[in-house]
Amino acid sequence: MATFVEQLINGLTIGSFYALVALGYSMVYGVMKLINFAHGDLFALGSYLGYTLLIASSSWVTVHFGLWGGMAIAMLFAFVGIGLAGVLMERIAYRPVYPAGRLSLVVSALGMSIFLQNGIMAIWGSRPQAYPAAVVPSTRFSLLGLPVTTLQVVILLLSFTLMLIIWFIVEKTTFGAAIRATALDRSTATLMGIDVRVVIFFIFALGPALGGIAGVMNGLYYRAISFNMGWTYGLKAFTATILGGIGNIPGAMIGGLLLGLMESLFAGYVSGAWKDVFVFVILIVVLLWRPTGLLGEKTAEKV
Amino acid sequence: MGITESILNRVGLGAKKPSGDQPVTYWSRNRGWLLLAVTGALFATYPFLPFITDYWIDVAFFVGVYALLGLSLNIVLGEVGLFDLGHTAFYAIGAYVTAILNTSLHVPIIVLLPLSALVAAGFAYLVTSPVIHLKGDYLCIVTIGIGEIVRLTMINNPFNLTGGPNGINGIGGPNLFGLAINSSTQFYFYTWIIIGIIVFGLIRLQHSRIGRAWNYIREDATAAEASGVDVRSYKLLAFVLGAALAGIAGNLYASKQMSVSPQSFTFIESSLLFCIVLLGGLGSIPGSILGAAVVVVFPEVFRQFASYRLLFFGLALMLMMIFRPGGMWPRKREGTGLDGLGIRGLPKKDEDLIPLGKPDPAILKPATTAVVRGVKLPPVTVAMDEGMLLQTHGTTLKFGGLTAVNNFDLNVQTGKITSLIGPNGAGKTTLFNMITGIYKPTAGQIDFLGRDITDLKPHTIISYGIARTFQNIRLFPSLTCIENIMSGPHCHARSGTWAAVMHTVAEVREERDIVATAAYRLDQVGLWKYRNELAKNLPYGKQRYLEIARALATSPHLLILDEPSSGLNDKESEDLMVLLQALVKEGFTLLLIEHDMQVVMGISDWVAVMDMGQKIAEGLPKDVYNNQRVIEAYLGKEDD
Repeated sequence: MATFVEQLINGLTIGSFYALVALGYSMVYGVMKLINFAHGDLFALGSYLGYTLLIASSSWVTVHFGLWGGMAIAMLFAFVGIGLAGVLMERIAYRPVYPAGRLSLVVSALGMSIFLQNGIMAIWGSRPQAYPAAVVPSTRFSLLGLPVTTLQVVILLLSFTLMLIIWFIVEKTTFGAAIRATALDRSTATLMGIDVRVVIFFIFALGPALGGIAGVMNGLYYRAISFNMGWTYGLKAFTATILGGIGNIPGAMIGGLLLGLMESLFAGYVSGAWKDVFVFVILIVVLLWRPTGLLGEKTAEKV
Repeated sequence: MGITESILNRVGLGAKKPSGDQPVTYWSRNRGWLLLAVTGALFATYPFLPFITDYWIDVAFFVGVYALLGLSLNIVLGEVGLFDLGHTAFYAIGAYVTAILNTSLHVPIIVLLPLSALVAAGFAYLVTSPVIHLKGDYLCIVTIGIGEIVRLTMINNPFNLTGGPNGINGIGGPNLFGLAINSSTQFYFYTWIIIGIIVFGLIRLQHSRIGRAWNYIREDATAAEASGVDVRSYKLLAFVLGAALAGIAGNLYASKQMSVSPQSFTFIESSLLFCIVLLGGLGSIPGSILGAAVVVVFPEVFRQFASYRLLFFGLALMLMMIFRPGGMWPRKREGTGLDGLGIRGLPKKDEDLIPLGKPDPAILKPATTAVVRGVKLPPVTVAMDEGMLLQTHGTTLKFGGLTAVNNFDLNVQTGKITSLIGPNGAGKTTLFNMITGIYKPTAGQIDFLGRDITDLKPHTIISYGIARTFQNIRLFPSLTCIENIMSGPHCHARSGTWAAVMHTVAEVREERDIVATAAYRLDQVGLWKYRNELAKNLPYGKQRYLEIARALATSPHLLILDEPSSGLNDKESEDLMVLLQALVKEGFTLLLIEHDMQVVMGISDWVAVMDMGQKIAEGLPKDVYNNQRVIEAYLGKEDD
């Protein structure tokens, strides 16, 4: 029982990282119909930005604002920084290629991903870095007799709050309706007076920014970060997106959480080495059963 | 086209746009052979050039391996347009089959060369056949998943077969009838000769009905299926062939490196292959080789920048896509003339093809025998009413709670024009989609020529003799007009992969028949002079005619036209009516959906009226025209 709850919490934590990254994936996909392979690398970049801020001048931020204050500032820093990076990325790599079609966009995205990954390596080096212990809150408390770190609880609460906010914006506000309209049919949305450029700006700022926060949380949680971790997370997040139904906001959240849970439960009970194989097999089975993901809408092609 | 170029063209100074009628010069006739001789000479002398060290010969070997991988992915991604981001899996299977069987059972490498291809192909068949129906990005993630599953399995070392993360060492080199291949130069020649043979086969495949079928699927899978292409089988064929070539690449790689390990088969490797194909140009064989050269040589040239080289590489990929999204060496289709089709024994003058394609009137007559143009028809099992070609019995289709077509009986008389009319949204196109097999009816039966065709797939129905056009024109936009129409006879041809590669006598004859039939139909609808233009460049009205010609080229008994006159002006509509009546004289039976009452009343022999999925009237045109219920359906009920 104890391991079960432990794996459950662990799975939810990883799952919430996946979900946050998957949200960005899904939002960008919905509007641009682009698999943004560079998205995972923005997540990694966020992790490094938070790291740099937290170690700068012997943890100046942590010393002045306290552990939790420092954490909050690091996340905000990554949020803003990665949001800007996302907007820049769209301008440089996607907007000029958009008219050339989807395949060219995929290559441009792969190019962006290789560029970012090697850019991170050029700046921070190829060896993994570690968030110093001094900046990570280590308080623990007992939940139903189980030791849980406060950090875990904060990560979970924050992730769920962020997901709720995004869900609210996309599903309940007028601007959200504009986003959904643009996703359905860009040219009709333009004709209805929606400024598609604003929507794209917003999507490319917010989507990656969420990944940036997730990057910092990931760094605080696992401590070790490496320049190529974006690939793994990007791939997992893409899997989560498809699992839930691509372009579907609640789908991305559920896909991410499910993926995290399956991974950690399988690793805890069956085998750590085969967990990723298990995840992909599940994904394929789900797609055979529901070809457009768990929450994806069944689309009948009109002929 | 650049601005300068277009200005030059406008004033008549630009390079002449080649057309079918341009004079044949020595250069244009022998260009292929000259290019081949020059490339061959370059490849043969490369290792002996004074400044080429063993290091650079090895680089050329790796260009070869990646070229092979690029060519293999090009089949799946370039020709068929399937997003495959896990292609490395097949490469890995080839390499590991070689490694395992050579180190443990000492099977010679040269025997393992075809065996690796076979195992990789078999694996591809097994894993892709359940998922091949998935669309675009969903298929993409599944291929990524397959790639990762294979790599992780290699790492996890099941049954101590794969050597875990360290892989397998001590693989031997190939031995060609006593000649051991181990030096860089030997490997270079060995690899590039294999590639040369494969490229020869691929070029022939590209210019056969198989290559064209792949391209039809890439351009519009639904239209391809509706023109008689077995989409599922051709997609699988692409995966299987692609995997076989990747397996060969794996064998070459393993025997050269003498070791394999999972690090060589990561996701990034798959995405590099993806980039090779796109950098070269989709569906372009020289493009894939060039793309491989760039991807392998680029990092070597920038070696002194060490860790920055991949940074530049990423940047270069983005710049390429911004400035040359079509790739470095895109496959040209327009302007190559009919020669570009690569079909042997065509007459010197293109026009001489047209009369060759005139069909034998017998094949247009509804078949009483069991064989129509090589297609084996199942025995007649259904009793048809006298003189009827097609009958639907109680055909019903429900989408969830909505009944789109309800218990509909339609009778189409042989050799007549039957029109189906009704307000928008009545369910007419849905009924057509059931007849042609795109939707499966919820209830009811569809009989054609005395055979129950209810559960058949679209491409089978086409080969039985029902062809159709679409309400919103669905052509193969980036193919030439003649290529578009050549999809019609496809379903009656029988040559397979091997025949296409070997140019067997039957295959050559079949290809000539296909192009002649296409030429005849193209000329019949008055589009002959556009034969080498891309379909997307035709104006709307001509695209409609092109679509009709494509349907005619399947030599159907029944031609189903979905709103053929929509978007045409009065003059064009009149021309259309003349054409349709000529078709009936030729022996075709026509079924139309039509809104233009002038057309309907002018040419129909029988009219059925549909409203809200139900038949509300049928009869001779003049009777239907005055029918009270029909008027109500169109104009609404008059208030008392």
